[in-house]
Amino acid sequence: MNIHLLQTVILMTLVTYGARVLPFLLFKGNNVQGYIRDFIELVPIALLAALVIPELVTESGSIVIIHNPFLWAGLLTFLFTKYVPNLFLGILFGMTAFWGLDKLLG
Amino acid sequence: MKVTTSSDVNKGFTYGLHQSLTIAIGYAPVAVTFGLLATQFGLTFWEAGLMSFFVFAGASQFIAIEMIHQGATVWMIGLTTFIVNVRHVLMSLSVVPFFPERTLPWSLALAQGLTDETFVLNARILKDVVGEENRRWVMLGINLGSFTSWFVFTMIGGLIGKWLPLEFSGFQFALLALFIILTATSLTKKNALTYVLAAMLAVALKLLIPGKIYLILSVALAAGIGAWWRQRQRDTGIESKHTDYRA
Repeated sequence: MNIHLLQTVILMTLVTYGARVLPFLLFKGNNVQGYIRDFIELVPIALLAALVIPELVTESGSIVIIHNPFLWAGLLTFLFTKYVPNLFLGILFGMTAFWGLDKLLG
Repeated sequence: MKVTTSSDVNKGFTYGLHQSLTIAIGYAPVAVTFGLLATQFGLTFWEAGLMSFFVFAGASQFIAIEMIHQGATVWMIGLTTFIVNVRHVLMSLSVVPFFPERTLPWSLALAQGLTDETFVLNARILKDVVGEENRRWVMLGINLGSFTSWFVFTMIGGLIGKWLPLEFSGFQFALLALFIILTATSLTKKNALTYVLAAMLAVALKLLIPGKIYLILSVALAAGIGAWWRQRQRDTGIESKHTDYRA
């Protein structure tokens, strides 16, 4: 067992389980409202953008559009999912599209 | 302790376990994919299983293996996991009122299996279960059934990845594909502004600042501005009650 990975799993467990268990331990049933609630609700979609878009458009420190298999495979995967909303098929499609475009543009 | 009436005698642990089947079936391919990718990204199948056993939070596990692969530090991965999973606070807050008399062991046990999917199912089912004692057992059944599927199918995926080391350049796109699919299913008119903001900020900050810090900065800024915008709209009367917990 890799010690770096063990530390990662422990820390991930602490923050994830912490978020799940704290309301059970601290609250009697009242709910967060207002700005904090909106902020927490918007975090997942913001994170998806931050994780995906830079990986699709920047390659080795600059923005690449035409010769960029990541960008085109990403757009194709997005369109595919709109018509075939299946996680497994979508991943399979994305990988195949990337593999093909990588050969074509690379 | 509540008195059990004859109509809800059956609504206990096995009822919850039975209800969890839909989630268990839904988790299977995702968990297999996780196990498979984790082993492709350099984890052993035991390590993949360990992560599924303890963390039990799909999206953050996929993000973690991507970040491990890119050489991110433990703290960076921990902070990102926190950002991704802090939404569990909201779900937990929503189910807590079902258990006003809960004991510490029950609190610890019921919180373990709270995910996007089990939250949705629990919220739907628990309101029709009479008696807190019954609700506890039903939720435990739902959570444990889902958890077992996630863990077992991660191991199966890990074993497949271990025995079939595939040489296929498409694998480096698998996680991005997963996140794009999640985006396609969770992007709405109401969060599109935050999405576009986060995307632009992330690209700009990634080019400007070395390391992975752009992730947290862009997410915090975009969600902060998005939430401020929602408040402003609410103040001007364009109120909406819709709540979306999905990633």
